[in-house]
Amino acid sequence: MSQHEHEEHGAMHFSVDKVFIGLFAFTVAEVGWGLAGKHLGFNRPMLWGGLLFFAALKGWLIAVYFMHLKFEGWVVKSLILPTPFLVMIIFGYVMPDVADHEGRLVHPVGSEVDPKTGLVIENMHDGWRPPDAEGHEGASAPEHAAPAAGADAKPAEAQR
Amino acid sequence: MSEALAAYDPAVDAPAHHHPVYDYDSGPPVERGKFAIWLFLATEIMFFSGLIGAYIVLRSAAKSWPDPQERLAVDITAFNTFLLITSSWTMVKAVFAAKAGERGKLLAWLAATIAIGASFVSIQVYEYIQLIHEGAIPKIDIFWSTFYAMTGFHGTHVVVGVIWLSCVWFKALGGGYTVRNNLGVELAGLYWHFVDLVWVLLFTIVYLF
Repeated sequence: MSQHEHEEHGAMHFSVDKVFIGLFAFTVAEVGWGLAGKHLGFNRPMLWGGLLFFAALKGWLIAVYFMHLKFEGWVVKSLILPTPFLVMIIFGYVMPDVADHEGRLVHPVGSEVDPKTGLVIENMHDGWRPPDAEGHEGASAPEHAAPAAGADAKPAEAQR
Repeated sequence: MSEALAAYDPAVDAPAHHHPVYDYDSGPPVERGKFAIWLFLATEIMFFSGLIGAYIVLRSAAKSWPDPQERLAVDITAFNTFLLITSSWTMVKAVFAAKAGERGKLLAWLAATIAIGASFVSIQVYEYIQLIHEGAIPKIDIFWSTFYAMTGFHGTHVVVGVIWLSCVWFKALGGGYTVRNNLGVELAGLYWHFVDLVWVLLFTIVYLF
């Protein structure tokens, strides 16, 4: 181990016990917030916002102090810091598949959109089928297919 | 002169005449093991992000979603969360003991971490048995399939961590770590803290949301 690394370890001053007590207290607060929110009827943004705040705070304490991220050099930080942005990309690409521009769900899980008509087929057994061996196209949407959810039943392509 | 150059044998290792031989370490300015474990943890972040992302998307898209607190034992799992946080604390103590060269304390703190980690897994297995006994199996609905997928993969990581820490403990018992050579303890600790961090998020999202 080099002298430089010795100095880095020497500069790693923090109270392990205080961080542990903090984690303990925030977990109590988080559980209390969750239970109180259900019983007192917090609205969803308030309940989820509080829970995410406590979870993020605990995660930050573990990463920065217990995993020594605060005391690491640029190499380690550059390995980890891009990952939250990559996670955002995952959500960013997936969420439009299930929600429209106003945040409403396009259609529920377990249904599909008929590519010809744009109608939502609630039962997937009534939906897409592979083309037969002679090259004919698969079955189209049945007559009882429900229109897409939302104010107007536009074809799926038009909504995107 | 580095160890690699000291072991350099021109008869065996001689490069082609156009290959330069450097008298310095061209690796990243961090221990290779630490670089590797952080790279691995970055991939693990993406792995669990995929699971949590799938859960959020499925839950957002579902027509209805049950209240997790009505289906799951939050009190037992909250206790389990305390256990895992405590194990992270004992793990930090073990790493500091290793850096100080205190072998007895290292063994004691490692043993405590292993015991607490094993207790976490035991309680999770007990929870699974109770749920399965009540008929809550993954094929029932999307709630249970996402629940078992996320907590199951995390539980597997805890089991791997307990095995890893046990190997570190046996190596420490044989005097395998010194003041100058204790990176193995630190790497196992990084993995263990990551497992703890993931559980902090999973507990919030799966049990409290």
